Amino acid sequence: MKRQFQHPPEAANGKRYWRSLNELADKPEFKEWLHREFPAGAAEMETDGLSRRNFLRLMGASMALAGLGLAGCRRPEAFLVPYTKSPEWIVPGKTLQYATSMPRRRGAFPLLATVVDGRPIKLDGNPNAPLSNGGSDIFAQGAILDLYDPDRAKEFKKNGDVVTAKDFADELDRMAASFATNKGEGLAFLTESNPSPTLSRLRGELAKKFPALRWASYEPLGNQNEIDAAQAVLGGRYQTVAKYDKADVILSLDCDFLASEDGGLEAIRGFAAGRRRLEEKGAKMNRLYTVESRFSLTGGMADHRLRMNSSDIGVFAQTLAAAISAGGKADDQWISELAKDLIANKGKSLVVAGGQQPVGVHALVYTINSLLGNIGQTVLVIPALTEATLSIQQLVTDINAGKVTALFVLGGNPAFNAPAELNWADVQKKVSTVIRHSLHEDETSAITSAVTWQIPAAHFLETWGDARGRDGTYLSRQPMILPLWGGISETQILTRLLGLVPAVAAPAAAGAAAPAATTPPTAFPAETPEHVQETFKQIAKVTGDIANAWRQFVHDGFLANSAFASVTTSAKGFGAQLAKPSTPDAYEVTFYTANIDDGRYINNGWLQELPEPMTKLTWDNAALISPALAKKLGLDMPGGTSGFPGVEPIDKPGTNVSVQPELGSKNGFPMIEITANGRTLVLPALISPGQADHSIAIAVGYGRTTIGHVGKGSGFNAYTLRTSENTGFITGVSVKKVAGGYNLAITQEHNSMEGRGLAREITLEDNAKNPGWVQQIGESSHMPGYKEGFPAIYQADQPKLDAAMQWGMVIDLNTCVGCNACMIACQAENNIPIVGKDQVINGREMHWIRNDRYFSGEMEDPQMIVQPVACMQCENAPCETVCPVNATVHSDDGLNVMAYNRCIGTRYCANNCPYKVRRFNFFGYNERPLDQLYWGPLAKKGSAETIKMQKNPNVTVRMRGVMEKCTYCVQRIEEAKINQLRIAKDTPNTIVKADSFQSACQQVCPAEAIVFGDIKNPESKVSKLKNNTRNYAMLDYLGIKPRTSYLGRVRNPNPAMPGAEKVGTASPIEHEGGGHDEHGAAPAHGSEHGEKH
Amino acid sequence: MANIFPKSANFLPIKIGLGLSVIGLLVVAGVWYYFTPKYTRVGYQPTQPVAYSHALHVGQLGMDCRYCHSFVDQAAHANIPNSQTCNNCHKEGGVQWDNPKLAVLRQSVEKNIPIQWKQIHLVPDYVYFNHSAHVNRGVSCVSCHGQINEMEVVWQDKPLSMGWCLECHRAPQNNLRPLAKVYDLNWTAASEGKNQLEVGKQLVAEWNVRPPTNCAGCHR
Repeated sequence: MKRQFQHPPEAANGKRYWRSLNELADKPEFKEWLHREFPAGAAEMETDGLSRRNFLRLMGASMALAGLGLAGCRRPEAFLVPYTKSPEWIVPGKTLQYATSMPRRRGAFPLLATVVDGRPIKLDGNPNAPLSNGGSDIFAQGAILDLYDPDRAKEFKKNGDVVTAKDFADELDRMAASFATNKGEGLAFLTESNPSPTLSRLRGELAKKFPALRWASYEPLGNQNEIDAAQAVLGGRYQTVAKYDKADVILSLDCDFLASEDGGLEAIRGFAAGRRRLEEKGAKMNRLYTVESRFSLTGGMADHRLRMNSSDIGVFAQTLAAAISAGGKADDQWISELAKDLIANKGKSLVVAGGQQPVGVHALVYTINSLLGNIGQTVLVIPALTEATLSIQQLVTDINAGKVTALFVLGGNPAFNAPAELNWADVQKKVSTVIRHSLHEDETSAITSAVTWQIPAAHFLETWGDARGRDGTYLSRQPMILPLWGGISETQILTRLLGLVPAVAAPAAAGAAAPAATTPPTAFPAETPEHVQETFKQIAKVTGDIANAWRQFVHDGFLANSAFASVTTSAKGFGAQLAKPSTPDAYEVTFYTANIDDGRYINNGWLQELPEPMTKLTWDNAALISPALAKKLGLDMPGGTSGFPGVEPIDKPGTNVSVQPELGSKNGFPMIEITANGRTLVLPALISPGQADHSIAIAVGYGRTTIGHVGKGSGFNAYTLRTSENTGFITGVSVKKVAGGYNLAITQEHNSMEGRGLAREITLEDNAKNPGWVQQIGESSHMPGYKEGFPAIYQADQPKLDAAMQWGMVIDLNTCVGCNACMIACQAENNIPIVGKDQVINGREMHWIRNDRYFSGEMEDPQMIVQPVACMQCENAPCETVCPVNATVHSDDGLNVMAYNRCIGTRYCANNCPYKVRRFNFFGYNERPLDQLYWGPLAKKGSAETIKMQKNPNVTVRMRGVMEKCTYCVQRIEEAKINQLRIAKDTPNTIVKADSFQSACQQVCPAEAIVFGDIKNPESKVSKLKNNTRNYAMLDYLGIKPRTSYLGRVRNPNPAMPGAEKVGTASPIEHEGGGHDEHGAAPAHGSEHGEKH
Repeated sequence: MANIFPKSANFLPIKIGLGLSVIGLLVVAGVWYYFTPKYTRVGYQPTQPVAYSHALHVGQLGMDCRYCHSFVDQAAHANIPNSQTCNNCHKEGGVQWDNPKLAVLRQSVEKNIPIQWKQIHLVPDYVYFNHSAHVNRGVSCVSCHGQINEMEVVWQDKPLSMGWCLECHRAPQNNLRPLAKVYDLNWTAASEGKNQLEVGKQLVAEWNVRPPTNCAGCHR
């Protein structure tokens, strides 16, 4: 994969010479003999009088030539093909970075794209842009794979027949002309919510040209409720930007702001900053209260979590608002103490509500924040990023009334995700001409109207554009590559309709001067930035020549100081009745988003195979139910033996619990049927500890029917339950067990630490009292880590760790929220393949870094802690001693390195790894389609060309039968070292500057929880963190000296809250020092001590 | 009943065994010797699409390596020059423009068709060699490519095998030279009346030269 050559036909003069053979081979008689020998047969040789000796000599030479010079296994001829004219900036083999942005429904995301030889290979956050620290999330990381998805829509189609782009361009011209006569009556657009000023400007232009046109937008997971609430209580079209970093007390009402709530990135960064105040003298670490139905990552980070049905949260918010008005008086202790804590932090507290919560709750949140004086402090109110448009419901009414004759469906996928009662599929058929513009040919494309056009969309990395960021910052977007399959952008469609078609230069004759005449294009010419420039001119208020300002804008990726100013306002009262409290026996269904967002990433293998953060479920969705509901329905969970089916406590109460059944169960998970408002959905049930007892959570986006190879047959469609009335949750749902089972691929089968203190936590108070606590947990308290003279696993050929730089890593469990961005970043950086659902069930997933998730406390209402685990680069690595072929050895800078080409696949190393971080290529995942892994030689060989284009050229693509693992991004280390050598030249200055480069997981981490660097340099961040009192190494008592260490987590419970005594006590603190080796089972021992706290 | 096999047949298994082991030894010895890069790679000298002579351009005209291989000190690859670079001198009305030997270049410049040079120095895909790390630290082109400045047609002069790389990585003093002399392919320590080993040892110490000898230095 490193280099790829297009082998051209051999040149006429392309003879090869081999010093050793050319003498003999060049003789004419020998050549003649070679040519004659096989066709003519051996009998001839006798008559030619060849001696036996000659025969052998010639045979030997001809075989040598056949082997080395002519055909067969000779060295392949490779070509070096330089440019004829070098493009600016391109240095062969070096990467370039360009600023761009990713459109997202709640504000675009500033990115830096890494480009190699014209191919974008990786996306990362733009560290210079406001609201960004260079971190990004799973979608930004996964988007690069979407660009190269071989299943993307590639052809212009009319009624299913392939047509040319010109046909469509002509159709647009015809439509523009015909709708010009009736002011656009009957013309309608349905788009996604995309905060792009250029699109909105073009929309305005269209509205001028066709005053009667209808423009609707629809997002299944938008922030419409928040905007509607602002309209009600603030009296304007506003939305909020929450400043998590400024808040000391945060209350989340069903808001998973650290994960599935889109725009979570700034939230993670701000929240982590609040956690990091632990290290600052005189500063206060933040405290998080969460009230939610589904156990989310936010709930896992919470200091106090209250399980509650989503439908009850309205009443909770009302009670809380009343309690705050009353100075903290409430019947419920939880609410009264919470209210008191919020009041005590007026102006430094923050209340947020989830997007699925109704308008009333959002309105109440505005009121509460207003009461607490948070507005303008921790809550900034800014104008909404998108303009008001028709809703999909209004559009459907118009279509049903026959008022729409031509409908453009630009992006989105309403046939899949529109509210169920609208029956979008039937509605769309009623429109005589439908123009569908999409990245994939999907459910909406499949609907046939009288005339249906399918137009391939260009990916956001293929087009010019602009967008507003989350806080309104104006961001640029530039193409990284020409459209791979000739897709066109929305801008191209709209400008064509507007008649703003750029005149295109006629193809220049070779060598001729620039042509004077230009002709109008017949199809879509290559996109130019002129329409975005026009918008830029207006927003940046540049007069005259914009060239310099534009260049700066595109280079930086954003316009400085362009964020929306916050509006000073206060909330009015909101009188509407909130949702009724649930009756004891009724169930509710809540919808959330997991790894594939609203379903748009279902064909993205990286995101599909990424374990959902809480359930560790891949490739599917399931109904998440509480242990109590599972018991009530009598569900027989695979692997369950005791207590009630499927739920088996491993450790004593008070330490850790194991709830999920064993990995890869062949029996399957039981199916349940959910009925809501006459609509039913049958899907597998999965027990989720911490789920509210009367609530069932289902991830949307799965169960798509018209999609490419990867997403086919993945999950169950929860949109079929969702109606306009109930977009966030449905109450009054009935559930029953039905026959059948379904296999789910879950990556983490074991949720208990078995008392070994892998992930460690404590309360803020105890952390202050006992700074050395982290070394007193689990086995560490009995057997301290490596000391000089301590018997190591191997000593004889212990590598000398004498290089000038020594690499190490620290992961701060206090700020890591478990968002999984590191897993995808690692996958993109290190060419890690996906293995498919069946192989995940077999436990063969390939992620180099994983996020372990442990539960502690009671099964019904546990606490959660996450811990990213990658290769620890042990100094005394157990894997190295067992490798029979020296394929894994130690480097002098402390890396446990893998030489893939030496590996023969014994897998001894994986068996001997205490952290289980080594991954084996059981199949040639890069070479075979995932559904043909067992076909042997019959399988189709090779991967799609475009997938190859994504690979990082600086990392080997591994073949079948080799072991692989985290390398600390050795390609980045070596690049940094070599760069330093280039700078050093003839000086001895070869030490890389501290923190001048990052590993991929460190770079992506929005919480900055992962810190990598040179531990020998006292100035580096990682060295400083290694001296932190919370620093500990996992399983250090094995004497293997891992280079990665962790910082223990600190929880910040409010002592006055009910249940506060249980928070942060999962890690049992044992005796100080060593010497105790006659203890019984560690868990029992641990819990006994743990209960004292 | 007469014996079917003569008595001499008793020794047949031994003879066969001996014969087979001799053949086996020969095969092993043959593979050992002939299948190494030292034998299979060195001397590879393909005919290039343009008969470019390093001996003429560098040896006689004294061009610097970096005029054409312009990124050799900046990047991993020592780039092959683009047609534009050749065209700087061999332009219309310039040096040798009408020479039939430059037909491929003319076609490339006029019709924008890249020239397909045959790759001679090819290391396996899992080897990540970096030119800039070497030429910026006193390893001359000549150490790996031989006297390119004297070659009419370039051939592979060194095996470029891992063992060969390690020879130098373990003892860099044998090949280091002052930075000013890196692109001077005729320079030797002896030409200045010095001893290479002494020069090399001094540079290793002065520049803190520590070439990697672990796997990750080249394999990622």
